[in-house]
Amino acid sequence: MTSLRAETSVADLPTVTFGQRSLMWWGTLGFMVIEGWTLALLLVSYLYLRQSVIQWPPAPSQSPALLMPSITLALMALSVVPAVVVARAGGRLDAPAVKRWLVAHSLIGVAILILRWWDVQSLGVRWDANAYGTAVWMIVGFHTSLLLLDVLDTLGLTLCFFVRRQPVKSFSDAADNSVYWYFTVGIWLPVYLIAYVGPRVI
Amino acid sequence: MSALGNSTIDGGALAPEAVAQNAGALERTWSTKPGVWAWVCTVDHKVIGRRYVITAFAMFLAGGIEAALMRAQLARPENGFLGADRYNQIFTTHGTTMMFLFAVPMMTAMGLYFVPLMIGARSVAFPRLNAFGYWTYLVGIGLLYVALLTNHAPDTGWFAYVPLSETLYAPGHRVDVWAQLVTFTEIAALCAAVNIIVTVFKMRAPGMSVNRIPLFVWAQLVVAFMIVFAMPAVAAGSTLMLAADRAIHMQWFIPARGGDVLLWQHIFWFFGHPEVYIIFLPALGMVTPIVETFCRRPVVGYGAIVMANIATAFFAFGLWVHHMFATPLPELGDSLFTAASLVIAIPSAVQIFCWIATMWTGRPRLTVPMLFVLGFLFTFINGGITGVMLASVPFDRQAHDTFFVVAHLHYVLLGGGVMPLFAGLYFWFPKFTGRLLRNGLGKWHFWLFLIGVNVTFFPMHILGLDGMPRRIYTYLASTGWGPLNLLSSLGAATIAISVIIFLVNVVLSWRGGAVAGPNPWGASGLEWATASPPPPYNFAYPLIVSSAHPLWDAHAALPVATGLRTDRREVLTTTTFDARPDARHSSPRESIWPFYLALCMGVVFIGSIFRPYWVLIGTALSLAGLFGWGWQSTRPIERERIALPNGALVERT
Repeated sequence: MTSLRAETSVADLPTVTFGQRSLMWWGTLGFMVIEGWTLALLLVSYLYLRQSVIQWPPAPSQSPALLMPSITLALMALSVVPAVVVARAGGRLDAPAVKRWLVAHSLIGVAILILRWWDVQSLGVRWDANAYGTAVWMIVGFHTSLLLLDVLDTLGLTLCFFVRRQPVKSFSDAADNSVYWYFTVGIWLPVYLIAYVGPRVI
Repeated sequence: MSALGNSTIDGGALAPEAVAQNAGALERTWSTKPGVWAWVCTVDHKVIGRRYVITAFAMFLAGGIEAALMRAQLARPENGFLGADRYNQIFTTHGTTMMFLFAVPMMTAMGLYFVPLMIGARSVAFPRLNAFGYWTYLVGIGLLYVALLTNHAPDTGWFAYVPLSETLYAPGHRVDVWAQLVTFTEIAALCAAVNIIVTVFKMRAPGMSVNRIPLFVWAQLVVAFMIVFAMPAVAAGSTLMLAADRAIHMQWFIPARGGDVLLWQHIFWFFGHPEVYIIFLPALGMVTPIVETFCRRPVVGYGAIVMANIATAFFAFGLWVHHMFATPLPELGDSLFTAASLVIAIPSAVQIFCWIATMWTGRPRLTVPMLFVLGFLFTFINGGITGVMLASVPFDRQAHDTFFVVAHLHYVLLGGGVMPLFAGLYFWFPKFTGRLLRNGLGKWHFWLFLIGVNVTFFPMHILGLDGMPRRIYTYLASTGWGPLNLLSSLGAATIAISVIIFLVNVVLSWRGGAVAGPNPWGASGLEWATASPPPPYNFAYPLIVSSAHPLWDAHAALPVATGLRTDRREVLTTTTFDARPDARHSSPRESIWPFYLALCMGVVFIGSIFRPYWVLIGTALSLAGLFGWGWQSTRPIERERIALPNGALVERT
């Protein structure tokens, strides 16, 4: 074995970091890419199926109702506020603010999930009626699964902050949770435009 | 010695006693405790990587046995050895095993074992995710092989083309087994890909800037990105589309309800073609350090090889339609994909010319790894040439679905994937076991394998040009295909003998082979800077790198950084491009949750085949597992140094 020579020390480096200095941030980014890409493939499949028929949605299917998804869109836009505040409070290690705004974030998340329940009731087609119905249900269902996981993650994080003294790195995790929420909200926009507005214009 | 091992810097050599004391403390902190529980809970990337390699090799043997059974069936015309139904199950299981359960997992396993060692890291970025990926993979294997042994294995080919794989033509659960198995292995591949990307981006040794990353690591990084974009396609296709069509009557592929059978082919081959390069690029990554080591010089064209890797990945996504030339697609599309299929030969050729130039200007030693590299060049070039032939639409329409295509793909996969893999296994066997494989047996293995591959698959070109279709279980004697099929089967037997010799070599050498020492070949990469096999913590101190060949360029003593803790698992992270020390991060200890979660996801996916309510039960159990996993991560520890987003550095408990 070759002998070793000490050239520098890393003892003074931080042990908790935020954003792209944190490993978890990179991991979160990786899974956002995978999930976003999966959803993109479903949306492309939807548009691919659209090419082969004259009428879209094919009769007797109807275009999905716009009310609930539009309210969801507005609520999602609103939900970004507590997510941003949590991320900033986390970056200041401000535990009371993180707890307070995680609760707000969780409540809005649960409200969005409840709205989604009504939303899927008014899609205007059953999933097994035809390929259009299949594509719409799968796209909305896939986004809902991401939403559900993210809301559960937020609830779990909130619970941990309230019932247990948190290690400092949990503040970084809370900030990463917000980043994932931005993603969940952001990918709702193409879903809304293609699956809900799309049938009325394409 | 403090818990911050050797925090004082004197700029001089570290005393051997201090290094040994540091290593002892690290051994206590990083080693996996003995016992079954710890065996299940381990998160050591080397233990998991070794398990992956052994499991994937077991799958290679299983796929090989299936191939031997098929060759026995086809050895003579009108043979009744297997029968149509069993043949279909075995040929589907062979393809599925080799593509999903051997080739991709084996290549990612080599990455999960070696990437941290090659970049001087103590672990992967997400050790528990790594363990979860392995257990998921194992659950998928269990599903397929239990199905095969109980006569329920998939029988529609490893590509599961619709409508043949829809319930109308494939009732029962055979196709469901295939669809869900694929998703398991893709989950494992995605976990590995994210792990490799983050590990390479954030955990390289100080000084290992992007122009000093080993070429094997570059290949793994490029492939990890390919996996991130290719695997979601097949996971979406197999579970969200095919399995959903079959289980809850979705209509993705049912033309009568507006579905489209070609959508399946687009989705499948959008994954399926990059898959070939996902197997092939890591194999090329193995070739470079072997050529460098045994030619005693740095590879010619480091930058060209990196760019060739990236270009290959880019083009690989642009030629899936060349699997669909026989479908009614627009002519313009055919031309575009023909061009892309021809262009991708260029980056492969660039790499080959770089290796030839390295050998030409170096002093090559014909060791067993080098023999396999030469065998790879010969076999892969043959397969590449037939690939260029098949990229031509008129030729493809003639040869489509004949044994010519079987010959081409086996030349590419065995030549481009398996031969470099064998080269790599001979080269890195010391890092797995501390022992060298025997040279004499290695040469027998090489020559029999090379002869076997060519005797098996070359006749298939002729059979294909003579019109013998693929995917048939027998043929009439009047076709005249019997003699060449018999020759092909004898070639398969030769391959089997060569692999048995390799297994004997592994067993004998592992038990009593020559002790290797840290760097038996005089190689230049960081993996050779530590013991063989490496200790649980990989390196006593983070090595500092100042060139692309650190062990060749180090003169007296290897420069290292001190200051990582020895009393808890701590890894060093560095900046993304120039690899400057950036932070110290905790690395998790053993955990049962990855194993538990993989089993629960098994309940979800396997249960969905038989009873929908198992999906709900499995999901509830999985969510509990996710919560347990997260909860385990929230144990308060001690005083931390925190880099706040505003740049301030504070200390807090």
